Amino acid sequence: MTVTAPPVTPVRRDASKPPRRRGGGVAPPWLFAAPALVVYALVMLYPSIVGAGSAFTDWSGVGEARSFVGVDNFKQLVHDDQALGALRNTLLLTIAIVVVQNGIGLLLALGVHTNIKSRMALRVIFFAPVVVSPVMVSFLWKYVYNPAPDAGLNAALNAIGLGALRQDWLGNPSLAIWSVAFTVIWQCAGYSMVIFLAGLEGVPQELHESAMVDGAGTVARFRHITWPLLAPAVTINVMLSTVGGLTLFTQIIAMTNGGPGYATDTLSTVLYKQAFVYGKFGYSTAVALVLAIFVAAVSFIQIGYLRSRETAA
Amino acid sequence: MALDQTVSRRRLLQLMGGAAAVGTLAACGGNGGGSSSGGQLKVIGAGSQEAGLRKALDDYKKANSDFDFNLSFSPADQLQTALRAQLAAGNAPDMHAVYPGNGSAMSMVQLSKANLLTDLSSQSWTQKIPEGFKGAFQQDGKTFIFSPGTSVLGAIYNKKAFASAGVEPPTTWSELLTVCDKLKKKGIVPIALGAQTPWVTQLIDYALVPGTVYAKTPDFDDKMIAGNASFGDSGWADAMDKYLELQKRGFFNDNPNGTTYEQATSMVGTGKAAMAVQVSAVLQAFRDASPSPDDLGMFPFPATDVAADNWIPGGIVVGIAVSAKSKRAEQAKKFIEYCGQPEVVSAWSQAVACVPLYSDGDAKVDPVLTSFLPYLKDNKAVPFMDQRWPNAEVQPTHFAVVQELLGGKTTVQGALKKMDEAYRKTA
Repeated sequence: MTVTAPPVTPVRRDASKPPRRRGGGVAPPWLFAAPALVVYALVMLYPSIVGAGSAFTDWSGVGEARSFVGVDNFKQLVHDDQALGALRNTLLLTIAIVVVQNGIGLLLALGVHTNIKSRMALRVIFFAPVVVSPVMVSFLWKYVYNPAPDAGLNAALNAIGLGALRQDWLGNPSLAIWSVAFTVIWQCAGYSMVIFLAGLEGVPQELHESAMVDGAGTVARFRHITWPLLAPAVTINVMLSTVGGLTLFTQIIAMTNGGPGYATDTLSTVLYKQAFVYGKFGYSTAVALVLAIFVAAVSFIQIGYLRSRETAA
Repeated sequence: MALDQTVSRRRLLQLMGGAAAVGTLAACGGNGGGSSSGGQLKVIGAGSQEAGLRKALDDYKKANSDFDFNLSFSPADQLQTALRAQLAAGNAPDMHAVYPGNGSAMSMVQLSKANLLTDLSSQSWTQKIPEGFKGAFQQDGKTFIFSPGTSVLGAIYNKKAFASAGVEPPTTWSELLTVCDKLKKKGIVPIALGAQTPWVTQLIDYALVPGTVYAKTPDFDDKMIAGNASFGDSGWADAMDKYLELQKRGFFNDNPNGTTYEQATSMVGTGKAAMAVQVSAVLQAFRDASPSPDDLGMFPFPATDVAADNWIPGGIVVGIAVSAKSKRAEQAKKFIEYCGQPEVVSAWSQAVACVPLYSDGDAKVDPVLTSFLPYLKDNKAVPFMDQRWPNAEVQPTHFAVVQELLGGKTTVQGALKKMDEAYRKTA
């Protein structure tokens, strides 16, 4: 039996009907997005724009009185020792978190991507801290970091004969920032692990098998097969940990409140203190604006580089 | 209604719209929100004043059946954030905690300048505010807060620890060093210091400065305001040197920068440490940490070797004020007028271990405070220093530089230079 297809005649699209996609589906009208866009505009855009405007005033954060001060707040920022110290701390923390958290995350992912029997249980254990509130984790570690010689980490060190390593983990200005960084890394390494694990699941086994036939060892296969194909996972992990590091706030406030002195202040804690402790909301907003622009710039540069690496891979 | 009943798209949208409207209206009129909640007066107090404020509200409610309140408390840091955000958004509670004088973002001067507090000047109790304390309550001649009295600052000590070392409360700086030395030799930490908690860092300076600064220069604050004095060129340097001397002699617990207020409190309560420099308003916390409340006493912390120069710090405790935007301002003002009665002032003061602002006859105070009363009577008490600082930046700067001093990251002159810089910034 032969079937004759009816002749196809071009049909002029009725303007009142929804536009059709080239692939055949119906393109949804923009109106569908309107409710979400309105909410976004009201909740995000409007407050952000109004907030950005405060950066050019001397508003205290309460009351109506405010004066336009031009770019004075930004000039002050350049000469503010506390803010500059906080910028240095922020960068140190970010670098530590990006490098160590992702390094540990990758090692954990490689470890649980093997055929060991307990791999599923280990995945759950390593990921567990991620689902706990950062405030809870901070208080937990504050307890662990108790400076008394017979408490917390110090007691544990003493019990295994390493009493000489006991420290004032959060009270020593030179050590406190690294104690906070360790807490963040402890909590978030599992998150990096999961993303790397997803990347590892996507690496074709055949490539490994053929490389093994060619005599490639474990290190060579990781270097030439796994690592290049993990590029998208690296991009995501580096981006997320960078933004997380640059905007780190909760753990600092909960564990050290920026102290001792200013030793663990970050840009986020400085802008919080300026707004709520010093009563300088205008200046605080200027710090926030600079931080937002800084994070965006770093993110764009990073994503540009990492995407080009993905393409090369 | 059958569960499998079909619902048309139009009907579904109607139901969703109705649900949204109900939700919105409920949010506007519910009793969990701002100053318009139900028929209750919404009150947020400072944690340190809980016992006194709660008793006053309970007693007032018993006497006024139409009065009801919704009371919650915040620690100091949350007063700075949550309550300040509510003030900024215009939905502050009807009545809330406010720090007396100036020097904090939540202080009476800062909030009254922003027109956020109701004027209480017409109330009769305001006429009884002692002259020396008016600056804590009033701005431009108007009274904006109520506070039950003054909290004194000194050493809360464990009597058993002192007895085991065979020492008595000292009255001069040299005696203090001797007492600390004996306690240390006995294996007891002489002074518990929880300097990881920011506000604790200031207390030893506050205890010493009345003797090293104000006893010689009572008008030091006026000179500072006029620009004729500075922290760096004053007895503040002597006070900070003495603070560091206590650390260098090993009279503090190990790692004070990593120790919290709660840990230090526990150390004194259990006798592991002999004393802590603290405000009387937190006596109850120390008593809670001690096997027996009678184990604890309090004495003025000596700053010099001349007993006559050893003045004490005594500041008005955290007060309450009525929000300028409260819809129940009249109700709140009536309650504050009730609080201003001498018997209520007395009951509140006793509940929070402070000396009443005024009294009919002899003031009833917690027995452990009796050694402080002669100083108050002889005008040898200085308001807490921050209450006359011109902006909210000096006090947190003081917290930070003390932590830096204890951590060996700055010098006394470096620390005082930062405080002077913060002082000279505009309010």
